[in-house]
Amino acid sequence: MKRRTGRRALAAALAIGVGAALVGCSGGGGGGGGTQNGVSGGDYSGPNVTISFWNGWTGGAAPVLVPKLIKKFNDEHKNITVKDVPMEWADISAKMPLAIKAGKGPDVSVAHGDDLATYAAQGLTLPVDDIVKTLGYKADDFPQGLFEASVYNDHQYAIPWSVTPLGLYANTTVLKSAGLDPEKLPTDKESYLKALDALKKAGVQGEWVDGYVFTGTFEFESLLWQFGGDLYNKDVSKATFNSDAGVQALTWMVDLVKKGYSPKNVAQDGNINALIAGKTAFNWNGVWQTTNEALDKVEWKAAVVPQIGTEPAVWSSSTHWIFLNNKGQDKNKTAAAATFVKWMNDNSSGWAATGELPAKNTVREDPALLKQYPNLEPFMKELDYAHYETVSPGINGANALITTAVNEAVLLKKAPKQALDDAAAQADKILQQNKKQYGG
Amino acid sequence: MASTSIAPVVPQSTSSGGPGRGRKTGTAYLFLAPFLILFCVFVLAPAVYGIWISLHTWNPLLPVHPFSGFDNYVDLFTPGSLTFGDFWQSMAATGIFTVCSVPFLLVIPLLIAVMLNQKIKGSTIFRGIFFAPYVLGVAVIGVIWKYLLDPQLGVVNHVLEAIGLPSRIPWTVDVPWAWVSLVGVTVWWTMGFNTVILLAGLKGINAELYDAASVDGAGAMRKFFSVTLPGLRPVMAFVTTVTILASANMFGQSYLLTNGRPGNTTRSAIMYIADQGLAQNQMGAAAAMSYVLFAFLAVISVVNFRLQREKTE
Repeated sequence: MKRRTGRRALAAALAIGVGAALVGCSGGGGGGGGTQNGVSGGDYSGPNVTISFWNGWTGGAAPVLVPKLIKKFNDEHKNITVKDVPMEWADISAKMPLAIKAGKGPDVSVAHGDDLATYAAQGLTLPVDDIVKTLGYKADDFPQGLFEASVYNDHQYAIPWSVTPLGLYANTTVLKSAGLDPEKLPTDKESYLKALDALKKAGVQGEWVDGYVFTGTFEFESLLWQFGGDLYNKDVSKATFNSDAGVQALTWMVDLVKKGYSPKNVAQDGNINALIAGKTAFNWNGVWQTTNEALDKVEWKAAVVPQIGTEPAVWSSSTHWIFLNNKGQDKNKTAAAATFVKWMNDNSSGWAATGELPAKNTVREDPALLKQYPNLEPFMKELDYAHYETVSPGINGANALITTAVNEAVLLKKAPKQALDDAAAQADKILQQNKKQYGG
Repeated sequence: MASTSIAPVVPQSTSSGGPGRGRKTGTAYLFLAPFLILFCVFVLAPAVYGIWISLHTWNPLLPVHPFSGFDNYVDLFTPGSLTFGDFWQSMAATGIFTVCSVPFLLVIPLLIAVMLNQKIKGSTIFRGIFFAPYVLGVAVIGVIWKYLLDPQLGVVNHVLEAIGLPSRIPWTVDVPWAWVSLVGVTVWWTMGFNTVILLAGLKGINAELYDAASVDGAGAMRKFFSVTLPGLRPVMAFVTTVTILASANMFGQSYLLTNGRPGNTTRSAIMYIADQGLAQNQMGAAAAMSYVLFAFLAVISVVNFRLQREKTE
């Protein structure tokens, strides 16, 4: 009997201990917002600190550009030293959770829009409501809908950095060979079909439709929104990409294949490679292709994606600044990081060289930027109606099924509706699992 | 037992309970210790930990991992669950790949090894040529063949077109062609390894046996089936087992070449497990799947060894 009570006491003690630990955790995550009062107007004035900045900027123009920016920042700020830690994106998401639990993670980092909620739900990132307030950021400092794309559970968890919408790339040499005016790229369903018909008569399959994330999935999602649909319902508890709008969107893509505007069985990246090789005229691809050196040898032009559906809409991804909730996170470091983020956003016009659009409106809309990077103009125009990532923890697992559906449909393995219904049913199970694991 | 025929030949006089026995075993363990420690730390302990993980809803990113008993396993055998359809589809994909690739990976290297074993000029060079692809990493061969096999822009279809054959073959995009590509690339890539092992086995066959067979009037075919194959049996058992296991663990080829497409038809079991565990953070489910795959492979390996053993007797 005595032994039993002893064991019970131990169990109770353990339970209390675990409970206390949990409360401690959630306190660090949820209440963190209230601890950022040290940030004043974006100008850190505390003691000297070194902050660690993890980023996935390992390719393109970034490895030259970022160290330059950071050096300039460090020179201008005597009490802040930013340590640049570039590594592969995949490594960041693999290492960050453990590093943060051990208190050895970065003070500031950049994350893709579809990871924000996952990070926030795990308590890896700090809510930035107070930082946003002290830095003076408002929703209309950024493209429409972007600021909301970092709100999870009523808290702001990130500050926008860049956006990368889809656009219509055209090989103008191919257009001319089919008797089309390269200055008048198609803008709607009618003109797009007309151009595709002219190309078909000239023996060119005008748009190669693929069934991969790059770029079939992005095109499908753009079309889905154009037809008035959405990927998920409002609280992201149910997939809605198999709605009528979704079926219309995917049917449009499949019809391009069936009617011979696209070859069957296009491989991954086959469409942009075909455009570069002069074998096709159009490709719906991301703004990042503007920095593709292989395109330098080709005469090409970009335009806003044609409006096939009932309203203008386009897919875009986004990247955001996040502030990490390291074990024992130093408030001064977070404050210094906020200063760094504001400075980076203010000095982000050079970021266009990486094939991404700076998120901050005043920077992006500066006419000097377009003078230097004229190819970006159509992509900027699209930001009035761009759609960003779904904010929900663990959403990537459900998103992957959209690609499976697009793949099966454009390979003519399943009818569009069947493919979407199957994917939606599986996605619903994943959403259910996400709710169960991440809560709310 | 393979050892029964040898046992009477080697008298074990010293080992029958002599005073030196304990010390000898101790020395043996001492020499084995470094490997044993590595084995325990990097294989045994993680394997046991894996069982523990598989009994939980284990999202490594969340602080709490609720115990879920055998739920992860039950899900794998419950039609309509989140993992059932995808898991068994990936197991089937692995099965198709293994069944299609293993025969080629045994027969072709055997034929090449027999040819290289003849006293021909430049056999060393040929050996090098056949082995060369194996030196390359899967990332390299994946990227190379993805370009070569591109349905519209690839070199392979261009060559086929030039010689008047069907030229729009979706090598990397649609089945069954995707299977042909995956098996073909894997055979090209790894046959050199099996060739070298089998070649070593061939060198170990006593030349006098061939002479004796010649005296008895055996032709080349008869010698191959009556001398070469029986002589290679122990090596063949090893090569078969290793090849089956390697094929069942296929990941990189379908990850890079076909991306698991069309749909998820060519997504191998390892690819799905990696996706569940590392990309979707469902470590518990992924661990359970690993153990089911392990059970399959264990049974296959045991059956394989049984078959080889019966042959030896």
